[in-house]
Amino acid sequence: MLKQTLFGISLILTTPLLFAASLENDESVGAKLIRTNCLGCHIPTDKGLSRISYQRKTPEGWEMTINRMRLMHGLTLNKGKLDIKGSGLHEIVKYLADNQGLSPNETRGVRYLLEQDLNQIETQFDDDFLTMCARCHSGARIALQRREPKEWNYLVDFHLGQFPSVEYSMFGRDRDWLGIARNKMVPLVSKKYPFTSEDWSSWLAAKKPELEGKWILSGHMPGKGYFSATMKVNQNNKDYYSLNIEGMYANGEAIKGTGSSVVYTGYDWRGNINFGDISLRQTLAASADGQTLTGRFYQKGQELVGMKITAIKDASTTQLLSVFPSHIKKGETTTLTITGLGLDVGSSLSLPANIVANKVVSQSANRIVVNVTAKDNAQIGYVDIQVGEAKLTNQLAIYKQIDALEVVPSYGVARVGNNGGSTPKTNALFRAVGIDYGKDGIANTEDDINLGYIEEVSWAVVPRDEIAKKDKDVKFAGQMNSHTGLFTPAAAGPNPERYRSTNNAGNLNIVAKLTENGNEISGTGRLLVTVQRWNNPPLK
Amino acid sequence: MKHLKAINSKAHKVNEALKNDELDEVMAMQSPVGCTATTDPGWEVDMFGSVSGLCQPMEADLYGCSDPCWWPAQVPDMMNTYPDWSKNADSATKDWRNLDSVYPEEKE
Repeated sequence: MLKQTLFGISLILTTPLLFAASLENDESVGAKLIRTNCLGCHIPTDKGLSRISYQRKTPEGWEMTINRMRLMHGLTLNKGKLDIKGSGLHEIVKYLADNQGLSPNETRGVRYLLEQDLNQIETQFDDDFLTMCARCHSGARIALQRREPKEWNYLVDFHLGQFPSVEYSMFGRDRDWLGIARNKMVPLVSKKYPFTSEDWSSWLAAKKPELEGKWILSGHMPGKGYFSATMKVNQNNKDYYSLNIEGMYANGEAIKGTGSSVVYTGYDWRGNINFGDISLRQTLAASADGQTLTGRFYQKGQELVGMKITAIKDASTTQLLSVFPSHIKKGETTTLTITGLGLDVGSSLSLPANIVANKVVSQSANRIVVNVTAKDNAQIGYVDIQVGEAKLTNQLAIYKQIDALEVVPSYGVARVGNNGGSTPKTNALFRAVGIDYGKDGIANTEDDINLGYIEEVSWAVVPRDEIAKKDKDVKFAGQMNSHTGLFTPAAAGPNPERYRSTNNAGNLNIVAKLTENGNEISGTGRLLVTVQRWNNPPLK
Repeated sequence: MKHLKAINSKAHKVNEALKNDELDEVMAMQSPVGCTATTDPGWEVDMFGSVSGLCQPMEADLYGCSDPCWWPAQVPDMMNTYPDWSKNADSATKDWRNLDSVYPEEKE
């Protein structure tokens, strides 16, 4: 006991000398909290602290790590309460994500997990990796971490110790799981996701973008339609901003809201904003020059209620951001909204050949609304729009007819909920993309034209197979709004009306339909209505 | 397998799948991000991309599965991490409403 106490005292006395310079000297709240809270277990090393200083993660990754320390190892931030706000957790996450985060390049290709854009199948990973490392959670959860080989090995140990079922559940028990994890997976991820990288060193040293100012943004919200807005960003403190957004949907519905954001690692934006009657989260990435923000706005817990966003920062030059709708049918008249910067009266609008501007309905610095007609002899395909010197390339499609509809997402997931339980329902929300088969009239050839989102479709659900039909999944699993594509799943809990009181799960197909030139055009997607989950970390 | 005889519909389905060579890993891994299909059965989706092969109603044997941490990414594992998860719900079938989410929620 005495020996242990003396060792403890000597550790505390010598600890500051052994810290890496940054963590030892940094007077930020986060660094101080790490020094105060983490030393009980994490031993000072020549690089900093054991475990902590040998990994890099996203803000969400660090948050999950610290919450694991709280849930599993008794870390008592905030006097043991698990409420996050005011606990000091945010400050620790901020410090770690800023100093041991991932560079913009390192998160590229897997940002869908940060953006909660989950209704997709991960196809970029090899089969071995998926089977060994991503059969309970996403592959991106791993691809958003960087570790030294020793730390990847510890992660294997952690899984085996904490979740031993990894070895005896399917695709674990049929192989030498531990052997493969140690000898194949650890070298693979150590090479693919290394702790030390030139990319990270360069980003750490680089000047970070300035994000205060006025931004123009645009997106397409399922169930609502095209959206454009201006967002004023005021810096309160370094990396902390207040937001003011004003915009409208293409149907004229206006949106005003305020919010706030934090920027991690110099570019990785997380915000919250009031958005009409809902609150949306923002996960955006700033470009290195600070001129664009790209990512997604989404409703927490309702991953499909969200939209991809592109934003550009106000500058002195004319710039174009978007045009919507993104298609015009030959021979028809429609109203286009063109968004961008410096579009005031005096900037000349150039439309493609055989697209005639009938009337400029309105023109302001950020938006031109123009009524146009596509003549019968207009060439089908993608065309450019120009305002002054600025050009929007291939974002407007001229088409002859809609030949097919593609349902997006092609595989959606809804979860039963409510009914007195702790987990809310997770809705599914679908959109339809129009396809013109092009001059050859043949599907899936190079001249197919993607028309973007088509609003005027009707929606229905049908059984996906005979079992779903027999089990009456359509009746029990939930309701589809035929106008908006919003599927609201049924209640959680056993349902005595179903065979063996099974849950209100369902294996369904989504059918989008419209009538084009007297013909019915339809597209099919897939909807899995499934049970709730009680473990909902930010990275699934 | 030759000494085992399938006696219910799910077992027949597994036999069929084996016969048709459908039960390969590639297919079983084709589920949306964060869903698990392969813990025999999966949590959200079964190996055939359906829900009819799942253990449902899942409340019927929930603790038989959360005890040996069968779906630890979705269901709190009671073996190591959340041993008291079911303390207010002795019978999952009757008391499932008392089961709470475990990840700390951000107070906004």
